[in-house]
Amino acid sequence: MVETIAALGPGEFAPKRVEGSIARQILSTAWRSTGFRIGFTVFVLLLVASAVWPELSPYDAVKMDMKARFLPPLFLGDKWAWGHPLGTDQLGRDMLLRCLVGLRYSLFIGVTTVALMFVVGCGLGLLSGFRGGLWDTVIMRLTDAQLSIPMIILAITILGVSKPTVPTIILVLGLSGWPLYARVARSAAVAERGKEYVRGLRVVGAGDWRILFLFAAPNILPPIAFVAVLDIARIMIFEAILGFLGLGIQPPTPSFGTIISDSRKYLINAWWIGTSPGVFLAVALTAINLMGAALEKARNKVYGGA
Amino acid sequence: MYIVEFLLKRIAQGVVIIFLTSLLIFTLLRVVPGDPVRLIVGGMAPANVVEEVATKMGLRDPIIVQYGRYMAGLLHGDLGQSYLRPKSGMIATGGEYVDPTRADMAGVGELILERLPLTLQLAGVALVFAFLVAFPIGIAGGLRPNGWPGVLAFATQSLFVSIPNFWLAIVLILLLSVQLGWLPALGYRGFAYVILPAIVLAVEIAPFLIRTLTVSLGEIMQSHFIDEARVRGLPRRRIVYGHALRNAAVPLANLLGIQLSSLIGGVLVVEYIFDYPGLGHLTVLSVVGRDFPTIQGIAITTSAVFVFVNIVVDLISYAIDPRVEL
Repeated sequence: MVETIAALGPGEFAPKRVEGSIARQILSTAWRSTGFRIGFTVFVLLLVASAVWPELSPYDAVKMDMKARFLPPLFLGDKWAWGHPLGTDQLGRDMLLRCLVGLRYSLFIGVTTVALMFVVGCGLGLLSGFRGGLWDTVIMRLTDAQLSIPMIILAITILGVSKPTVPTIILVLGLSGWPLYARVARSAAVAERGKEYVRGLRVVGAGDWRILFLFAAPNILPPIAFVAVLDIARIMIFEAILGFLGLGIQPPTPSFGTIISDSRKYLINAWWIGTSPGVFLAVALTAINLMGAALEKARNKVYGGA
Repeated sequence: MYIVEFLLKRIAQGVVIIFLTSLLIFTLLRVVPGDPVRLIVGGMAPANVVEEVATKMGLRDPIIVQYGRYMAGLLHGDLGQSYLRPKSGMIATGGEYVDPTRADMAGVGELILERLPLTLQLAGVALVFAFLVAFPIGIAGGLRPNGWPGVLAFATQSLFVSIPNFWLAIVLILLLSVQLGWLPALGYRGFAYVILPAIVLAVEIAPFLIRTLTVSLGEIMQSHFIDEARVRGLPRRRIVYGHALRNAAVPLANLLGIQLSSLIGGVLVVEYIFDYPGLGHLTVLSVVGRDFPTIQGIAITTSAVFVFVNIVVDLISYAIDPRVEL
């Protein structure tokens, strides 16, 4: 019985359920999986560390210290030196601090970019699915066109030719990713438009915009938002790639891509410079991917799909 | 007849897409700040020399005029000449005065044709590696989604998708090439040089293959026609390989069309790190050097490959499963 109700989708039966909104159902289902809990714990730890440690650390992420160059990490030196747990880089800067500041930028760019893609994509998608007609035709042709252009070449071209700053990076990455969201939101909006409660609201005299933003959007958007979590990881990798190519955040500001790119020269004698940011990034990405996968599974379960 | 109509329609659409991409890139390159002439004549050259060279190169004409000239050349199969690369293959920027209007700059067409086979080789080997890993793991995971094969599939996929490709490349170079000396890493002097970059690319592709295989195979194994095949008494091997996998191949083919864009991104980075002289390597160097004609040529080539692969994917899907709408 519960399955049949869930299979009917959101909207019709949502108010009757004790659990409340779809968002809460998805979250509570996901919370029951071990993968989500592990991912969530690691993610929160990293988030807190990157928020707090750079403020507390006695070092500066960009200031050089020539006397402290190439110090090995804690467990490798002759004696344990707690000053630099992850060692220092070629300019004597604390690696732990640089990694955490890099993580800050990486997370910030990942989350903001996905938020931008989500707002632009879902906004246009809802509009196109709900209003139909000319809106639909224009917006969908636009998505088709953009999906068939290799955006990566476009992105690195723009960033390579203009000076990359945090806002331009977010803008370029965000503009390259919105069409997929538009497609998903549109198909959900088309399905929602035919539902009983929307017709009911029309009869009562509610306008299109009012129905869309006050009633339909709260049903359509949360499931898409949960799947967007996986995109954060994708964008974070992309940001690191840009940094690696020299098209991301410019040095001396630490970012994973530039640190790893610079570290290549010292790979043989000071391997830790390139390794630790990679491990940080990989751990953060695994955490996000674990959460994202669990949320996606939970969404499918709540919707009664596969 | 149906297929001919489909092909004509898609090719026409493809031409429009390629045209739009070229227009977009062309305009962006000229609108976004960053003057290639400044790089060509060198930082010390006075402003009037910059203007003189720019005018001679036609870069001060209205964009529409420039684009018209470019398209006229393109229709004759001429992609223009590189700003940076002379025919001899050496790159000269900065100090030495290079005149890009000279006839001895390399043609963009030749530059691309030279490198395209190398990139295709890399992509092909990487796909083979990825399938070798993904097939056993993905099929096992799809057949027993709740047992340990399902867990293994999920774990591999989560791990692989979380490793940044450029970092993996550096670690592999350090371990397999520098420390152990098993494989060559940088440049290209024979097939052995493909293996390491291909492994890195394969790690990037494999998780998507594993995921699609497990999900679609899992769904298919629960469908009625599989039950029916069981009732008919077909051996399990025949059910899995003859019936289930054939149907799982359609989403797999579609996936390759969708993932092509990120595959191109991967090729770009991997070629750059391994100094592998393919198209991706050329792209990065051209972007950094603001070599407009080469960037345009690459963008056109890439979108042509894009269009072509997506048409092929649709044809393959149709060949496997005629219910698919073209």
